[in-house]
Amino acid sequence: MVEIVRACFRSPADAAARRAASAALAVFGVMVGLPMPAFAQTAFTLPPPPFELPFLPTLSGSWTATIGAEGVYKPDFEGAKASMLSAAPILYIRRAGSPDSFHSPRDNASIALIDFGDLRAGPVARFVPARNQGGNAALYGLGDVNAAFELGGFIEYFPVDWFRLRNETRGGFGGHGGVVSDFSADFIVPVTRSLTFSAGPRFTWESTAATAPYFSINQAQAMATGLTLFDAKGAAHSAGVGAQIKYRINPQWEVHSYVEYQRLLGDVAKSPLVMVRGSANQTTVGIGASYSFDFKIR
Amino acid sequence: MRLTVRRAVFAFAMLLVLGRSAGALFETRDSKLQAVKTVGIISAVGDRFVFSKAGLTGFDNSSRSVSVAAWALDDFFVQQATSLLSARFQVKPVSYSRATFAAINESPLRPVELIRGDRFKKLVETDVTPQGLDAFVVITRAKSDLGAGGRKVEGIGLVTYSTVAESYSAIHALYEIRVVDGKTFDLIERLAAGPLDNSTDLRLAGPSRLLDEGIPVGGNVANDDSMHRAVVDLITRSLPVTLEDMHLR
Repeated sequence: MVEIVRACFRSPADAAARRAASAALAVFGVMVGLPMPAFAQTAFTLPPPPFELPFLPTLSGSWTATIGAEGVYKPDFEGAKASMLSAAPILYIRRAGSPDSFHSPRDNASIALIDFGDLRAGPVARFVPARNQGGNAALYGLGDVNAAFELGGFIEYFPVDWFRLRNETRGGFGGHGGVVSDFSADFIVPVTRSLTFSAGPRFTWESTAATAPYFSINQAQAMATGLTLFDAKGAAHSAGVGAQIKYRINPQWEVHSYVEYQRLLGDVAKSPLVMVRGSANQTTVGIGASYSFDFKIR
Repeated sequence: MRLTVRRAVFAFAMLLVLGRSAGALFETRDSKLQAVKTVGIISAVGDRFVFSKAGLTGFDNSSRSVSVAAWALDDFFVQQATSLLSARFQVKPVSYSRATFAAINESPLRPVELIRGDRFKKLVETDVTPQGLDAFVVITRAKSDLGAGGRKVEGIGLVTYSTVAESYSAIHALYEIRVVDGKTFDLIERLAAGPLDNSTDLRLAGPSRLLDEGIPVGGNVANDDSMHRAVVDLITRSLPVTLEDMHLR
């Protein structure tokens, strides 16, 4: 039984997320300063829970907690020319000994309800932060786009241990009501016991309802911004490549870095917002470090 | 005024009822075990030793297994568990079909498992004699993910992990323990044995250790004393910890 809680707050515009990130970074700073025993040796033992739910697995036993931080340098909004740096905390807890299954930076939060080992599928969710016109000069006059929640399913297949194919297809509500489908392939190469490199192509398809709120220019927006009227249709949204490297310094410490490049396609690339005020080339770079320790629940 | 008092009395009565129900519902496993005096031990980890490959493998990375029935690992599990539990419980010998227990595999569809319920506790009700004990301790093989690719390994075996620079092997004894109520046949507790303190670079959610480079991998495992000793060592060191984590010691 492996339960993972991953908290990622990557929108610097969101004050709550920023506070959470600061708190996590503070905790991380304290953790760095604390002497901790080796991985798989229990750092501390918690008392048994005062009550238990009969239909849930026991919490007793050994757990591994991972805490860390990641810096992400990415476009201010999708299609933006300028990028900005934001911080994201890393926090997850799993049963001791559970391996870190491969996770690409583009993967969203998911649960594998179907798990054949090499074939997994289940629900997936993604939060798309609001796009506020006050957040970037290129957006002035375009109005705000509300935050969106995307829910859907994922399927991934490992024909061999070192190659993964994955698709996430999600329907949005809130900021957009369209459908987004992300495809990715990753070659995962364990170079040594400590070093893993992965890379592969990416492709995204979006429906008109998922594209228009962000890339269409209506009459009011055209008058307010001077951009030409534009009706963005859904189709191929972007294509690109991504690469990631992970290095385990010792059983406790791990560092990782990744780069994701996407070229916007179709109407998204042709939108005046992108052509005049932004860029079709979108690059995200991330670097992070995490610290793992074991604890036990009686 | 009278209405208010009635409402207060009714609310208090409801609180009492809910409190008692909630107390029963949220009763901890530890408290359920307090009433257990007699236990029977069932072990069905099986007699297969599985060779698996992971990491940078070829296209044929299917696992293979050989029989290690001569090791009598299930008898060893029962013997060890009996010895460890005898201080607290009265351990009674039980009869069961080991093959029937060992044949159970979990469905990869988790909702199916949830709907179907735990099949081991049903087997305890139908296939174990004598009945009437307070609880049954059921030891079966467990599964663990391995590496990035979602490969699963289970039970007793050896996994070889390949990277660009090197290959290394680890031996594993993955098992889980259930405690089934002997009267209601409800599952009191279920826990997979965790990794040992000297766990390997190869992360497995269970007891494992790196194989010394000098030991040849493959061949006639059933006659390989060093391999047998390594498995026995994993079981001997992990079983007391697991039973303790389950509040059985």
